[in-house]
Amino acid sequence: MTRLIVRRVLWTVPVILLVILMTFVLMRQIEGNPFRHSERAIPESIQQNLEEKYGLDDPWYVQYLRYVKGVVTLDLGPSLVLRNRDVNDIVREHFPPSLELGALAMAFALVFGIPLGLLAALRANKWPDYTAMVVANVGFAVPSFLVATLLIYFFAVRWGDVFDVPTSGWESWQSKVLPTIALGLGPMAYFARLTRGSVLETLQQDYIRTARAKGLRRRRVVVVHTLRNSLIPVVTAAGPILGFLITGSFVIEQIFAIPGIGRYYVTAVTARDYSVVMGLTVLLALIVIVANMVVDILYGILDPRTREAR
Amino acid sequence: MRITTRALVAAVVAGSFAVLAAGCGGGGAGGDEGGPIDQVITINWGTEPPSLDPGLATDTTSADVLLNIMDPLVKLGDDLEPVPNLAESWDISEDGKTVTFHLRADGRWTSGDPVTAHDFEWSWKRTISPDLAADYAYQFFGIAGASEYNSCKSGCAAMRDEVGIRALDDSTLQVTLTSPQPWFVQQAAHTSFLAVHRPTVEQFGDNWTEPTNIVTNGPFELARWDHNSRLDLVRWDDWRDAGSVKLERINGRMISEGTTAVQAFEAGEIDMTAGLPPEELPRLKDTEAYSQYPGLGTYYYGFNVEQITDVKQRRAMSMAIDRQSIIDNIAQADQLPATGFTPEGMPGFDTLNPDSPWLPASGDIDQAKELMAEVANPKTDVTLLINDSPGHREIAVAVQAMWKQLGLDVTIRQQEWAQFLEFLGPPPDASVDVYRLGWIGDYVDAMNFLELWTCKSGNNNSNYCDPEYDALVAEARQTADNDDRYELYGELEDKLLGEDGAVPITPIYWYTYVQLERPTIKDSLNVNLLNQTDYSKVEEVEAG
Amino acid sequence: MSTTPHQRRALLSPLRLRRERRYPELPNGVPGEAGTPVRASSLWRDAWYRYIRNRAAVIAGVAFLALLAYCLVWPLVSPYDPYEVDFSQASESPSLAHPFGTDQFGRDLFTRTALGGRVSIGIGFAATLVILSIGVAYGAIAGFLGGFVDNTLMRILDALYGLPYLPFAIIVLAIFGGGNFWTMVVALSIASWFTTARIVRGQIITLKENDYVRAAHAVGARWLRVLGRHLLPNTLGVLVIAVFLELPGVILGEAFLSFIGLGISPPDASWGSMAQDGYRAYRTSPHIIIVPSVAIAYLILCANFIADGLRDALDPRTRET
Repeated sequence: MTRLIVRRVLWTVPVILLVILMTFVLMRQIEGNPFRHSERAIPESIQQNLEEKYGLDDPWYVQYLRYVKGVVTLDLGPSLVLRNRDVNDIVREHFPPSLELGALAMAFALVFGIPLGLLAALRANKWPDYTAMVVANVGFAVPSFLVATLLIYFFAVRWGDVFDVPTSGWESWQSKVLPTIALGLGPMAYFARLTRGSVLETLQQDYIRTARAKGLRRRRVVVVHTLRNSLIPVVTAAGPILGFLITGSFVIEQIFAIPGIGRYYVTAVTARDYSVVMGLTVLLALIVIVANMVVDILYGILDPRTREAR
Repeated sequence: MRITTRALVAAVVAGSFAVLAAGCGGGGAGGDEGGPIDQVITINWGTEPPSLDPGLATDTTSADVLLNIMDPLVKLGDDLEPVPNLAESWDISEDGKTVTFHLRADGRWTSGDPVTAHDFEWSWKRTISPDLAADYAYQFFGIAGASEYNSCKSGCAAMRDEVGIRALDDSTLQVTLTSPQPWFVQQAAHTSFLAVHRPTVEQFGDNWTEPTNIVTNGPFELARWDHNSRLDLVRWDDWRDAGSVKLERINGRMISEGTTAVQAFEAGEIDMTAGLPPEELPRLKDTEAYSQYPGLGTYYYGFNVEQITDVKQRRAMSMAIDRQSIIDNIAQADQLPATGFTPEGMPGFDTLNPDSPWLPASGDIDQAKELMAEVANPKTDVTLLINDSPGHREIAVAVQAMWKQLGLDVTIRQQEWAQFLEFLGPPPDASVDVYRLGWIGDYVDAMNFLELWTCKSGNNNSNYCDPEYDALVAEARQTADNDDRYELYGELEDKLLGEDGAVPITPIYWYTYVQLERPTIKDSLNVNLLNQTDYSKVEEVEAG
Repeated sequence: MSTTPHQRRALLSPLRLRRERRYPELPNGVPGEAGTPVRASSLWRDAWYRYIRNRAAVIAGVAFLALLAYCLVWPLVSPYDPYEVDFSQASESPSLAHPFGTDQFGRDLFTRTALGGRVSIGIGFAATLVILSIGVAYGAIAGFLGGFVDNTLMRILDALYGLPYLPFAIIVLAIFGGGNFWTMVVALSIASWFTTARIVRGQIITLKENDYVRAAHAVGARWLRVLGRHLLPNTLGVLVIAVFLELPGVILGEAFLSFIGLGISPPDASWGSMAQDGYRAYRTSPHIIIVPSVAIAYLILCANFIADGLRDALDPRTRET
């Protein structure tokens, strides 16, 4: 088990290097000038001064090596667009809200999704099942921007006096409720469906039948045997979904004016802020990699069979 | 024991409480509402200001903040005339090439130091210096020696001393210009011409603008700056004229999405917001909170004259555009249909405006068709380049439909901003036939608009190049007398859009600025023609 | 045919599957849906019977076909020009003349939604196919060749797995400088084929260990032939399901990118870009955002139920009780 973990952790090093290289290469393909933000042209001499200042006139391998060195020393360099700040500042300020939003949405999805799926499976083809599945399917299918819009309109604008939730921002706990639901609804529905399917499948397995035949109480069967084994697909899916929630929340961040990394990422790509895009991509990749790694390890714990296979 | 449905439902409900409880742990934030006249307002800055360093700021949000925390030499009055501020007076030499500012003695930095002419000399030279690599160094290129110093490769220190900015004593700042520039005094109201506190900049380097480090000299101080989220200002009680400032605190949110901002306003979370989505305007216009100000800016379509070579086709396309319909149905903020390139409100407008026959407000499709029929070799496949912001897309769709009536097959090419700028050039990419752009005045003189269309201008994306036009611009630059200059501007406008004009561009409308503001906020969240708000003049009063 | 579920399961037992020598090409993607009789294969015939027994899946299938028909046919017969701007009819609420209302330009939304559907569904399927093609090729090579190649490919895959999907799509769109049909397809598929590759590799490895493949190999069949004859066809079922499993994600991805303004150029529109137009007008004309959003939801619901139905039909072990 320890060996597995050590190996997985060590693997992230070349993986990160590759991600840096790929982002670096891709960014160089994008046309555009990080120093020109408006329709106003920049005189030649000023453009030259800027390129010199930020080392953009160096050959690409010099820039790449400088960048890798920056990542190793945890100094991601200055922003080309926000002239008084560097990438480290931006990460420090904008990452926590995204992380919090992702974690809350994930918690929301798990806390509601798994019981909902379990309820549906244990009452398969009865009204609780149908109700739960209607909720899950609709929740999964409706795009989050519509959910967010409707939530804001009804709870913050129309009935704002009753519910006392703000339309936007990320400060008080009230302001976090609506974005969490808007972002978490889709994954919640997904977990519900996954849990239902998985539990149904597990219930048909021989060992469950055996356990039942042995006369074990149904609750014990469900809780100890069924749920534990049924959660494997949920855990497998949870990693990528957590990664997605943290890296893909830009629509929600935009609509709710949350100072998160997703919203900022889009701005940085648009503005050609190379160093910020590089820094954030590496960071987002790290999140996805860590999420996947945690899943692999959890997977090993939940399902002993996979331990040796690796 | 069986697991009942009820138990399972209970589990789901219990889950919801767990989430709520977890949410509650987040801690509360204070509401800003408070009493009725607490002189605290909450506004929406719109976006994160990219820089609060006057030397580096280039955008309107940064300018909005800076003009309220710093003390400019001059401010702009209602008609954009220069009004004494930190400079109590100024002299302009006989030949118009030397401007001398006389500073007030009571200007102070928040550190306690006096604000002197030396601060301005140091700050301006810092902005011009190649080391800072400031985008807006070119704002100073009208000053003798500035552009040379900015592009120096060696011997920079000597060139620095050659720049025509000199503090003769603590209160006298002398500026030597390359030519008479009657607009220079107004230009000094721009954020680039603010002073910075030298010891602070030298101590903290790039981080000097953070709230804990920054030293300012204006009516408000920076109280809080949570990047991309909030930026709050408080009144600085030791400012030289603090007694006249009513507001105690300006809480500022950063909500870039217009729809979100309108919601926040209607829910009472903010007291002011600009950046309203055009789609919302019909609904908002009837509310008490809506207000609208003319702006010094022109929204225009430019022709690539090397692609659409026949002036008759350009005139026909220009005439086919129903500007009023675009304003009424898409832009929706009562913008003015343009009749020339330089917008109304610019000093000398009455003299210089060409009242162009090619820009009928509601279009003239019949005459446009007639003109089009005379075109020998029309270019019927037209590519229209726009950037992907929402409003432009809709105007492009409308124009596409209007030009279709001329038998033109218009392809809208939508690009995101940075790529769009690359395609614009100048010179523009050969695939571009028409492009959309806007121009908003930096300073208050039609020169700022008309010099765009000189051959070498970095903002002339049309390939239009007429030596006579350039000669007229050069002549106008040397003309200190306002009326004479306005006449020359009139000739320039005629060359572009007059009866015999080359029509390298077709202006659509002149901007207005719209915003929502609480009726309890008195006079003036007014923005001036350059879209600046002076919060030192704002006051909150009782409702009704 | 009147078989009991028991008999059907017996028919579908792995052994029976393996004995099948040839499998017909999929009739138009979805087995049986095109209405062509499925010949020769008890696998597909049986799957078809299972599928039509699943009421939800049948409804979803019919609804999906109806949507396709609407998107393809309606713009051809619609009395309205979907590109004509008429401000006198702008932002009208749904009525008899305009069942979905009109947009800000006075264009009939019932017609525009059909056109938007062509783009969204087209991008969805194209991107899904690209994802599956790359994923299958990659996974099959890794799983089949095994050993060093497999190890290397899988380690590279581990690295690629770290790429955040939507941020990368944003970069790709920035490289192309804006959205059109094919740039959207590339952007949406470039960082999303990794899972498919893993699944296919896993499948191939499992099957490779199976007796019949070993047997085929032992009797001298070349690997390429084994791959084509035995391994890929057996993965086909999984892939058909995968099309409908991937589709919602891709459609939503397209909608998100369009919603933040990286969508395709006007006057064409996808459901995502239509929703973006509607978002800013939702207070006065809510139907402009609701119509395309509901269309997206409708499509995703269909895809989900079809995927469920196909999975139950093709993979009997997970059948509902």
